[in-house]
Amino acid sequence: MKFLEKEIKNSPLFGFDKSVNTKSLQMKALKEFNKYGLPNKSWEDWKYSDFSLLNNMSFRFGLRKNISTLPNPFPHIKDSNQIVFFNGHYQKNHSSINNKISIETIDETYKENPELIHKIFSPNTNPFHNINSAMINTGLTIIINDNEIINEPIHIINYASDIDEPTMNHPLFIIKLGSNSEATIIEHYYGSTNIEYWVNAVTKIELQKNSSLNHIRLQEDANESYHIADTEYVLEEDAQLNSFHYASGANLYRQNINVNLNDIGASSSMNGLCLSNAKQKHDHFITVNHLKEKCTSNQLFKYVLSDAALGIFNGRVIVKKDAQKTDAKQSTKNLLLNNKAAAHSNPQLEIYADDVKCSHGSTTGQLDNNAIFYMRSRGIDSKTAHLLLINGFASEVLKIISNKNINKYVNDQLSYWLNNAGIT
Amino acid sequence: MLEIKNLKASIKGKEILKGINLNVNNGEIHAIMGRNGSGKSTLANIIAGRDSYNVTSGEILYNNRSILNDTPEQRALEGIFMSFQYPVIIPGVNNTYFLKAALNAKRKHQGKAELDAVQFLDLIRKKLQIVGMEEKYLHRAVNDGFSGGEKKRNEILQMITLEPTLSILDETDSGLDIDALKVVAEGVNNYRQNDRAIVIITHYQRILRYLEADHVHVLIDGKIAKSGGEELAATLEEKGYGWLDN
Repeated sequence: MKFLEKEIKNSPLFGFDKSVNTKSLQMKALKEFNKYGLPNKSWEDWKYSDFSLLNNMSFRFGLRKNISTLPNPFPHIKDSNQIVFFNGHYQKNHSSINNKISIETIDETYKENPELIHKIFSPNTNPFHNINSAMINTGLTIIINDNEIINEPIHIINYASDIDEPTMNHPLFIIKLGSNSEATIIEHYYGSTNIEYWVNAVTKIELQKNSSLNHIRLQEDANESYHIADTEYVLEEDAQLNSFHYASGANLYRQNINVNLNDIGASSSMNGLCLSNAKQKHDHFITVNHLKEKCTSNQLFKYVLSDAALGIFNGRVIVKKDAQKTDAKQSTKNLLLNNKAAAHSNPQLEIYADDVKCSHGSTTGQLDNNAIFYMRSRGIDSKTAHLLLINGFASEVLKIISNKNINKYVNDQLSYWLNNAGIT
Repeated sequence: MLEIKNLKASIKGKEILKGINLNVNNGEIHAIMGRNGSGKSTLANIIAGRDSYNVTSGEILYNNRSILNDTPEQRALEGIFMSFQYPVIIPGVNNTYFLKAALNAKRKHQGKAELDAVQFLDLIRKKLQIVGMEEKYLHRAVNDGFSGGEKKRNEILQMITLEPTLSILDETDSGLDIDALKVVAEGVNNYRQNDRAIVIITHYQRILRYLEADHVHVLIDGKIAKSGGEELAATLEEKGYGWLDN
């Protein structure tokens, strides 16, 4: 990927300080990536998501320009703190944030707290994480102070549009919740363009003692895009995470999720919904580490696969020796709407403690013809019956979104997708 | 109302119905009895429009019009209802939403205004009382977590809400205890009117103690072997089906 080397010097952090510290770390990360290159089918963890096609492409950073008006359509969510990035560039004029929330762009964080970023730049086993460290060009740090309860969601919109050449973005989001704090954060990707672009996001989330976070990640990138994400959660004692991962966009999508339940009583609920059609590939690779006792984790991922789409789920729960009284559940459910659609699910458990409760399961099926006939025999037309049934399948996982405005947004997106999925 | 003429049907090449003739007039209750595998449920499902059966010859006329080419939803909108022998669980689809969608589809078809949420709730609460169901069942997914008896009550709830003109009750009485059976029978009696007709498919005479059937038919090996009045049901109870073979 020669274009990375060409473009790295345009990263806003490159050579930011006189000590050349960051520059050398970025170069080191690129070198680390170049050692192994892009993953392909021969990499066990990436066997269904071949990104080697990126080798033959060339991307540049988007123009760092301020927009006067927000594009239309724009994915507003009612009653939220809105933070807008347009093609990777922070739009201060269109962002409004409650003053109880401390936010900084990644450049600002770098000026104030370079160590934080340096730590993240250390070599990683995920090649795309290394690319992100090398190429970082955008992002945000959000800090919720101890004991602070933020009721209105923080909605970060990464909007891609109005580009005239293949563009890339390597955002880094750092989110920290102080002890006893609460917040809801929506990490949203939205695209409206026919030009190819590439999103390679890294998100680092830390929940301190007894804090509680709802993290909603919405991936609605344009069809011509490639979206790769590495999301890491670290939970301290009694911290609670509710996360929801929605994906309907991008041609190729891969998200690595790592959850570290670091201390006693931490609990995480991970939920996902993929709506995939055409030749989309939607791939989740999840690792949950139970490191201490009395932690709970719950995973429910659902895929609705139409046309020739492919849904991939790889979920690993690791229960370490000290993690007695672990309660871990894992489930993935695939609904195939078409004979050409396919799903690969691989739930795994690695248990090194003896007093634990763990379960996992995976189902793949088609719409139940009996249920369709049942509805039709009550006068509901065939199309509506199909839509109701798919909606019923998907909506189970939407219950996790307790905020009604976010729930409505996702439900509306689901309805829109269903109405355009070519169901007759 | 319903005229079935020499109906023959097969599934996967195996002939199940071998020439059924049946006339059901307004206001009548017909009982169709027979052993397992005699073709009773096949007949019910073909009337309702399930497409897994192949109708090889014959005709089904409903209000003097052939319905064999109609979709299940067209038949339902025209007033045909089948209570399922095994009501289907529809995960994720709320029972209220389902009932309201079904009722409004029918109202729309009839050129009536659709009911809003409040109007619908008013209506459905009255219907719930008739079948002795608690309101909590409205908030669950359709038939999800319902006991056998609750599922059957839910079928009758749908019937009295949609107010069809022809109801086919496919073994609605099977698996019900005596109290549930009485409630179901009451629901059916409540629904009975001079311009409506009911076809009850059953193994047992039991439900006929609570509902007066005008005609009783015995289905054996895909054909109606005998028809009669209520006394036929009593004879069957006493003698079984053996005396009708051959």
